[in-house]
Amino acid sequence: MSKQPMSHDQAVELAALYVLGALDEAEMAAVREHLATCQESHAEFEELGGVVPYLLESADLELVEPPASLRDRIMTAAAADLAERQRAGAAEPPAKPAPAPFPSAADREARARRRTSGFDWALRIAAVVALVVLGGWNLLLQGQLRTTNDQLGATASQLAQAQKFDQAVAAVITAAGEKGSKAVILTPTENSTASGIAAVRTDGSVVLAMRNLQATAGTEVYETWVIVGSAAPVAIGSFTVDANGIASFTTRPADTPVGAVIALSREPAPGSTAPVGPIVSTGVAVAPAG
Amino acid sequence: MSDPTGGLSGRVASPSDDADRAVLVLVANGQLDALQDLYDKYRTMAYSIALRITADASLAEDVVQDAFLGAWRNAGRYVEGKGSVKTWLLSIVHHRAVDAVRRRRPTVDLPDRESVPPANLTLPDIWPEVAGNLEREAIAAALATLSEVQREAIELAYFGGLTQQEIAARTDTPLGTVKSRIRLGLLALRRAIVGDDGSDGAAEVGSP
Repeated sequence: MSKQPMSHDQAVELAALYVLGALDEAEMAAVREHLATCQESHAEFEELGGVVPYLLESADLELVEPPASLRDRIMTAAAADLAERQRAGAAEPPAKPAPAPFPSAADREARARRRTSGFDWALRIAAVVALVVLGGWNLLLQGQLRTTNDQLGATASQLAQAQKFDQAVAAVITAAGEKGSKAVILTPTENSTASGIAAVRTDGSVVLAMRNLQATAGTEVYETWVIVGSAAPVAIGSFTVDANGIASFTTRPADTPVGAVIALSREPAPGSTAPVGPIVSTGVAVAPAG
Repeated sequence: MSDPTGGLSGRVASPSDDADRAVLVLVANGQLDALQDLYDKYRTMAYSIALRITADASLAEDVVQDAFLGAWRNAGRYVEGKGSVKTWLLSIVHHRAVDAVRRRRPTVDLPDRESVPPANLTLPDIWPEVAGNLEREAIAAALATLSEVQREAIELAYFGGLTQQEIAARTDTPLGTVKSRIRLGLLALRRAIVGDDGSDGAAEVGSP
């Protein structure tokens, strides 16, 4: 872009203008290039640049709350971006077969915490491996069942809980195996541990398998929402959960394209037309391979 | 020993900074709810800055959306020690807002938006961590130490998104005068905030 590299003195002379962004694009690029390549001290840039953030806090900046709809727009666009990334990941052949058995939720969270950057988690949850992962999870659960049975001596309730989730996952796998269906990995929001998987059938109904949900009490229900583009969330079906924290549920048919966000909220009563209670788990519908 | 903060030092990362960094790691890992947390924490500041620069509510919304999506895509490129998450995020907002107003001005030729590197690779990449949280009144007092023409030039640049040439034309002032007003204004602001002589800091930082 710049024909001749900028000299150190030229760059330093522009420091104040640079840190304020008061140069045209070619000048900005030339200074940037100088900073990236010159080994000399650029203390002037740091000194002057350090005060710039204070301008943002200056007392005459009137604080204005953005409209509530802006959050929905941003979250929808980010969800679509995530789905796009996942599709891009799916287009490339996986470097190695999907890990089996699928790591436990605790393992995944620990791993996500250890990781400091990059999108590999998002990319690895590519649609191409989603079905294998579902199977792996199921196998792991069956393994846990056997271990529990043979070695530890399970209580009846633990066994029933594991079997119930196993059946819920089996229902999702069946639906996900249908031609044209989509997969969703639901991850917990803050202050929640609810996670699970879901399949979106061709009629747009969502088959959910969830665990670690808090039990509903009184009139409380969990409502399933689908959010498409910049549209408002649409309620597609609610269910209750008992103390085992597991849900196996199929929603009403809905328009649930690739990139749609599926969210679960805990509502004070059935029939909400917009989420009132806390969102406990969310995921994005992704297309299966091929 | 050189001081990478350029003298605005003595800052220990606040609990809020640590929390922000933890959230940003989750954002980098594609956690939508972490992005929502970040948005809820800084939406008012972000929107206010965008509105101040663009003076257009609908354009300001686009700018904030653009900035948070930029943060969503580039969270993995945030470098610790180059400034707080808040500074990083708000500088992206600032950068996008300036881009937006410049694009709207017919006389300015801008490269395609997608070819502009993310803001963290332009302005703030050399920004040091800034000194501890000053009260708004203290900042206002620091700004009050500037002369009227210095403040005007800095505000036209920073909140108006004008280049030095445009400021010179707008204020009917020679280009050299605009340059020195901005430089002296920032130095005065630094002195008022840091509470020492800026040239001492320069010598300290400049020494190997």
